[in-house]
Amino acid sequence: MQWKKLGKIFDPTIHPAFKRFVGYAQSPQALVLSDRIRIYFSIRELDKMGKFLSQISFVDFDLTLTSIIATAETSVIGLGELGTFDEHGIFPFSPVIIGDAIYAYTCGWSRRVSVAVETSTGLVISKDGGLNFERLGTGPVLTSTLDEPFLVGDSFVRFYNGFFHMWYIFGTKWDYFPSEDAPDRVYKIAHATSKDRINWIKESRQIIESKLNEDECQALPTVLYFGNKYHMFFCYRYATGFRKKMERGYRIGYAFSTDLINWFRQDDEVGIDVSPGNWDADMLCYPNVFQCGDKIYMVYNGNEFGKYGFGLAVLEE
Amino acid sequence: MLKWNKLGIIFSPQEAVGRDWLQEFAQAPSVLIFPEFIRVYFSCRPGADGNGQYVSYSSFVDLNRKNLFEIVKLAEQPILSLGGLGTFDEFGTYPVSVYRDGENVVAYYGGWTRCESVPFNVGVGMARSIDSGVTFERAGSGPVLPYTVNEPFILSGPKIRKFNDLWFLYYIAGKKWIHNNGKPEPVYRIRMATSQDGTNWNKLDKDLIPTKLEEDECQASPDVIYANGKYHMFFCYRYSLNYRGKEGGYRVGYAYSDDCFNWTRDDKKVGIDISDSGWDSEMISYPHVFELDGSTYMMYLGNQVGRFGFGLAKLDGVL
Repeated sequence: MQWKKLGKIFDPTIHPAFKRFVGYAQSPQALVLSDRIRIYFSIRELDKMGKFLSQISFVDFDLTLTSIIATAETSVIGLGELGTFDEHGIFPFSPVIIGDAIYAYTCGWSRRVSVAVETSTGLVISKDGGLNFERLGTGPVLTSTLDEPFLVGDSFVRFYNGFFHMWYIFGTKWDYFPSEDAPDRVYKIAHATSKDRINWIKESRQIIESKLNEDECQALPTVLYFGNKYHMFFCYRYATGFRKKMERGYRIGYAFSTDLINWFRQDDEVGIDVSPGNWDADMLCYPNVFQCGDKIYMVYNGNEFGKYGFGLAVLEE
Repeated sequence: MLKWNKLGIIFSPQEAVGRDWLQEFAQAPSVLIFPEFIRVYFSCRPGADGNGQYVSYSSFVDLNRKNLFEIVKLAEQPILSLGGLGTFDEFGTYPVSVYRDGENVVAYYGGWTRCESVPFNVGVGMARSIDSGVTFERAGSGPVLPYTVNEPFILSGPKIRKFNDLWFLYYIAGKKWIHNNGKPEPVYRIRMATSQDGTNWNKLDKDLIPTKLEEDECQASPDVIYANGKYHMFFCYRYSLNYRGKEGGYRVGYAYSDDCFNWTRDDKKVGIDISDSGWDSEMISYPHVFELDGSTYMMYLGNQVGRFGFGLAKLDGVL
């Protein structure tokens, strides 16, 4: 596989419509509509205590992804009520068209005391073409269970072979690593299925083998079917040192499957890597792969987890 | 109306010595019957930490079956350690409900974690014992009953039962947090789920017991017993705010059902209330009702929700 990088296509720190935010356009996820490609992302503001809150916004591109034709007026879904799983932010936000509605699986954040955060997957629905979404309820649709004790999130849903399939991540441990001041987390990619989009049956296993080491963190699976195979792109990093050390930061990984059960990791085939001296020189993360016409695109974040926006690549072979 | 004769306080945590994990509180009694004694599980706390915060453990005391006021044995250790870093039960295991399942004993318990915007969250954990309930092993490091769309937080107060080969879990689920001028208080209601295997649960997804005091009435400890062709539920309920004294504090309520699923609240029948004076003069809560040697008993908490232990009442007649 070979991806041709087309450069950064959106920077929230210089776009006038997003002045009230403090940067970040994380985990871009595309919704291909008839006359535009809408890209949702998580953008940050500060709360009263000076801590980040991630809100969901979007920019609309023309179908060739060369110019921005509209931007969101407001956040498409507010944050959760006091004490709920998505009170302190939504990141990421994954849209999918189902019937007449646009569904989105959210990753809700709520802050903890002994560790930084807990996350769960929520479901929100739009009946107005994706401008505004409403929650199904105040609680999550997928969350921790006996063998997936915390940090369920990054859900990505598609309908294949009579079932809704969800790829998501779950935490395997929180730990004080010797080199770090605060606890760090380890998370892996998993899979669940559903007949109704709401009630999910977890496969309850890690589906992508670890490559770096046992504590490799795997995030944001995105799956697309083409060429008689299911292709998964995701990002992965070391559990520690990933913020500052370029060689320990996120890279994009790749796996394929023919049966949606067995996945074969083949990072050598991914065809995209960091570009020295560029906006994505230090890390590549949060990929979202989609088809528009006969082209297959990837939107993704670069340095500093997307603080300065996201870029685009197109599949060449 | 039922008629309960109060027999007095039966176990007080202040009596325990040499157990740093058992300094204050003995909450939410749950009974397991043995040939010579009854084992009463309860939840307790070491002293508060430097910030005035508590963790909670669950353990047990064995009472002479022939004389329930005689302590035969007090556990040396909690039945479960606290959960690992970042897990749902890192800061407490309270309350606990046990059930003898063949050779083994299963326990369902509330696991506590600490949050930033609200003081805590609770999830329901599961553990098993192969030594008659002295020590338990977690079934997993996460909760057994997940939060769902209409049960967003505070899943707690589990009561595990098995009727006609089907597992029943009665529990509470949080509905909302009241802001309360920066001191958030939760509102929770009684719910239920059923399971074929005790691990995978189907939630009924509705409140079982209508509210009586106010819209935000809090309900807890849904203790269900089958007797004389009916299912009986004893629970406790209180106002959502200002509940730490006599006025707004817990009272014991009652409901009955023919099928375990549809319940009729009938508090007038409960037959137990606060006393004029003494250890249960301000509130009564966390009832647990059981039959033993032809009699029906209730264990329950008194003032300050079990700070001074739990007491016993005996039913005059039958349920």
